[in-house]
Amino acid sequence: MVLTDRVKRRQLIRVAAGATLSATTLAGCGLLDDDPEPVPPPDALQPVLDEALQLAAAYDRAVLAEPGLAKRLQPLAEDHRAHAAELARVIGVTPPSGAPSSSAPAPGGDAADSVATLRKAELAAMKTASAACRTAPAARAGLAGSIAASRATHAEALR
Amino acid sequence: MNEQLLAALAAEEAAIYAYGVLGVKLTGEGDLAEARSAEAAHRGRRDALVSRLSALKASAAPAPAGYELPFELTDRAGAVKLAIQIEDGLAQAWRAVLPAGEGADRATALNALIEAAVRATRWRRLGEVTPVTMAWPGSA
Repeated sequence: MVLTDRVKRRQLIRVAAGATLSATTLAGCGLLDDDPEPVPPPDALQPVLDEALQLAAAYDRAVLAEPGLAKRLQPLAEDHRAHAAELARVIGVTPPSGAPSSSAPAPGGDAADSVATLRKAELAAMKTASAACRTAPAARAGLAGSIAASRATHAEALR
Repeated sequence: MNEQLLAALAAEEAAIYAYGVLGVKLTGEGDLAEARSAEAAHRGRRDALVSRLSALKASAAPAPAGYELPFELTDRAGAVKLAIQIEDGLAQAWRAVLPAGEGADRATALNALIEAAVRATRWRRLGEVTPVTMAWPGSA
């Protein structure tokens, strides 16, 4: 495969911009010849971590918009932060201290999330954690399972 | 995995017993409906475990005729507290099956863990026990 410098540059720019070109495709084209370290695939628990951070932030926004909900919602946000800290430890990434990046919009968008929206997001997040639990290696099955169960109880608490 | 399934079976048997005795202290249709549905669910889990263990050729010890309750049941608050303890205990027993099992066994254990955790939350709400949720059901 012959690549002009121009194509090569464009491809690299796409990679840098977060395009979904897999490392193997690039390696097959010989583009990574001078970079022997391929990008590792994302950890299977990464989506579970992303949702934990998004949900914690969504609760924070809901409480800001309606302080009367604080007593009900803050404990749930704390659960998500505990999940995020443990998931980050297991995955081996630095736990983000603030809000999640803007590239990962929280359910419901910019507006403060209603309790019904939060409940829907908890149920969706429970499914993500359940799927991760079913396919996880033994050492991670309990972690993902407890997070799925915790999210299910959140949905129940928001009924 | 047999060891964890046997522990889950013992926990389900204990739950069926506990729901049988705590029912008399409950009041209100909400309490009673929850207790009835929980007991039926636990009987279903128990029966499924018995067949699975038989397929695995693991023999379970016969369930004891009676159980010692962790505390004396005198009123509704005690009955709700016992129901919470029972469901928390079930969540722990089923969580232990997760790393031991794969495929259908793990999926069953996960559903049972989620169900027990949700029931524990419902009992906490019925008993006005806060917080109603926890970060790590099954590991407490």
